[in-house]
Amino acid sequence: MPTLTAEMILVMIMIGVAVFLFIVEWVRVDVVAILMMVTLPLLHLVTPKEAFSGLSSNAVVSIIAVIIIGAGLDKTGVVNRLVGPILKVAGKSQSRIVIFISLTVAGISSFMQNIGAAALFLPAVQRISKNLKIPIGKLLMPIGFSAILGGTVTLVGSSPLILLNDLMVPFKLKPFGLFDVTPVGLALVAAGIACFVFFGRFILPGGGKSDESSPAAEERQEENQIIDELGRPWELTTPEDFTHYREPVTVDALRRRYLINVVGMVEPPDFKVLGPAPDQEIRSGVDLVVYGQEKDVRRMASEEGMELKEDLELFKGELADHASGTVEAVVAPRSNLAGKTLNQVDLAERFQITPLAVYRQGVVYRAELGDLPLRVGDAILLHGTWKRLELLHAEGSLLFTTPLDADQLRPEKAMFAGIWLAVALIMVIVFKIQLSVCLMTGALGMILTRVLSIDEAYQAVDWRTVFLLGGLIPLGIATEKTGTAAWIAHTVLNAIGTVEPIVLLAVIGLLATVFTLVISNVGATVLLVPLVVNMALAAHTDPRLAALVVGLATSNSFILPTHQVNALYMGPGRYRSVDFMKAGTVVSIIFLVVMIAMLYLFY
Amino acid sequence: MAIITISRGSYSKGREVAEKVAQRMGYQVVSRDVLLEASEKFHIPEVKLVRAIHDAPSILERFTHGKYCYLAFIRAALSERAVKDDLVYHGLAGHLLLKGVPHVLKVRIIADLEARVAAEMKRENLTQNQACSLLIKDDAERRKWTQSLYGVDPWDASLYDLVIHINQLTVDDAVDFIVQAAGRECFKTTVEAQQKMQDLALACRVKASLAEDDCVDIAVTSEFGNVLVYTKQDARKLHRMEDKLKLLTKKVPEINHLEVRSGQAFPPEAC
Repeated sequence: MPTLTAEMILVMIMIGVAVFLFIVEWVRVDVVAILMMVTLPLLHLVTPKEAFSGLSSNAVVSIIAVIIIGAGLDKTGVVNRLVGPILKVAGKSQSRIVIFISLTVAGISSFMQNIGAAALFLPAVQRISKNLKIPIGKLLMPIGFSAILGGTVTLVGSSPLILLNDLMVPFKLKPFGLFDVTPVGLALVAAGIACFVFFGRFILPGGGKSDESSPAAEERQEENQIIDELGRPWELTTPEDFTHYREPVTVDALRRRYLINVVGMVEPPDFKVLGPAPDQEIRSGVDLVVYGQEKDVRRMASEEGMELKEDLELFKGELADHASGTVEAVVAPRSNLAGKTLNQVDLAERFQITPLAVYRQGVVYRAELGDLPLRVGDAILLHGTWKRLELLHAEGSLLFTTPLDADQLRPEKAMFAGIWLAVALIMVIVFKIQLSVCLMTGALGMILTRVLSIDEAYQAVDWRTVFLLGGLIPLGIATEKTGTAAWIAHTVLNAIGTVEPIVLLAVIGLLATVFTLVISNVGATVLLVPLVVNMALAAHTDPRLAALVVGLATSNSFILPTHQVNALYMGPGRYRSVDFMKAGTVVSIIFLVVMIAMLYLFY
Repeated sequence: MAIITISRGSYSKGREVAEKVAQRMGYQVVSRDVLLEASEKFHIPEVKLVRAIHDAPSILERFTHGKYCYLAFIRAALSERAVKDDLVYHGLAGHLLLKGVPHVLKVRIIADLEARVAAEMKRENLTQNQACSLLIKDDAERRKWTQSLYGVDPWDASLYDLVIHINQLTVDDAVDFIVQAAGRECFKTTVEAQQKMQDLALACRVKASLAEDDCVDIAVTSEFGNVLVYTKQDARKLHRMEDKLKLLTKKVPEINHLEVRSGQAFPPEAC
């Protein structure tokens, strides 16, 4: 039984400080991590070398590499192709998307590192969120948690389980088979997803009042408001008698009358025009794509006898997010557009770009845009293909406030991206080379084959994630090295004395959960397995079960964003520590209950 | 079918012409009733409007925004009548009040001063000199009126489609001409023309409703029920007007969409 030393107390204080700062968020979580990275060597709790070893750790390097690979897949449109079928199966309901992607991620992560599965799906989830206007915060956390939970489905799913058999060798216990944990793992995944499906709206950020005031939420709301103002694209067909006994109807006439914008039309037989000129005549039996509010579009359809289609059909490809989109552009100071009207500028004729609305001093203008003299600072909402928008951007008279994100899509490189992903995965699965090396090989391959440039690769890396993980690793090292973890484990286990097996297992699970939040899951497993095996033997409980509890519960890391997957998703999902605490606590409790119940029933 | 506006001086037989045209074509005649209508609708004493139209325009300035409100109300009342089509309006500046509507036949009836003096002498029992000076004064007054309110000279022939001098030509000749002209293709009430008329009526209605609430110095246009309200006020000080407009949007089904443009020059076609 180790004794409590001053160093141990210091480590516990540091852990307390870190957790406290995570909660109050006086500084951002990654800054807390850097604080740990610097303070621990100053207090002589770790060596300077150990302090920064986190940055070169397998986990961190893997994350960097996998983010680059993800960016490569996104840039080449592979992600888009992946997203399409997912959405086809899952539909547009948020719950179904969460269930479907979560199951997929959990399935993948049961055979490979959780972080790899999570990182590969990050760009896809971001695309889905953008396409379907679902707040990303509602999607990422359930999916991230599923990736972690998926690691418990097989014995190779997560590092603690991989280690488990090796750790049991000294005790001459029968090793576990690959699928011995599967029932428990599946139950955990199911419980996790069910938790989000049923309670998601209470535990996920974005629905509560406290979140309304955050800048991210406001931004989200504002985006939605703009979308409401503009409506969405609709496809219609003009009737056969459309031009009978009347003056010719032009694109501009429809816009003036119904405040809708024709962004594309099909001239018979099948000549597609995008961004038609205002004086373009609309004939009978042609297909139109218009942007507009539902009431306006429906009014037009009924008054003009047009047939309104349920969904985009002919223009599905042209109006897909990777081909065209809507951007906001501001009239720049000294721009030659200031003082001119949109009719004079004639974006449709010159660029095949359709102006949809103008914002001035918080007011949206939709009617008679063409005659509005533009002023410096006016924001114009433009719709067009990315290529055309890029041309307008190059002209320099308008400042684009929304980035032209799809401008550098390189579908021709999709094959290379796919090949390098396959190479990396084969290296991991078949040749069992260390994850970071495999993934970095894939990332390097993508850069060499020009799937993305090295600068784009650097830009893709999220430094928040890197430093958050890198900074917490020395905290784990200090906790182990000074014997703090061992002391806590001994103290807790001694304190409970001899109890019912189920209580012992529950305490072990709880202990492992707490440890994995602060020190790495591998560290927690290495430390706890020998201890609990001895305890179990003394208490006449199955020692293998005790070891398994540790192996599983070290994946129960949801309350703080210290798990790699949580750290990775924290930035893109705009989560705060509080969000993890709220949802994580619920999931963690469910995890423990389900795990103990399943173990009790099956073993 | 058409809308006919007849502009006339006093004792020029304009009223007679208007009534005969209406009778011949089966149209409605409107002149001062518009004022009555306006005063009823917007709760202003009729006296105020009548005096305003008879005395020098300066009298309007004695009321706050008098000129502005007078125009807004009378225009709203007239355009509401004109929407129903088949109308003969006689009086001052009808052609200017219905500016921009294509199927309006704009007529001016003039007469020799001698004939007018004679008529006035007969009716009012005046000497020739008295009648003459009264007529000249009256003409000058009306001219001042039109110039002050609309910025144009009523004697400018280019404002009209027809200017008929009742001297050699009789009232019946004038009626013949007008009826013939009104039957031309260009004065037919087409769907587009009627739409323009409806839009004008809507814009005038919005403007008058705002004037009623002391929201002045604005211009309103409407196109297919999409109403634009132009104001010179700062966009940030528009809350009161916006509240009013919201109410109006709910109340008036013809309004399809309503936008407020601030700090933008008023378009010439706005009412």
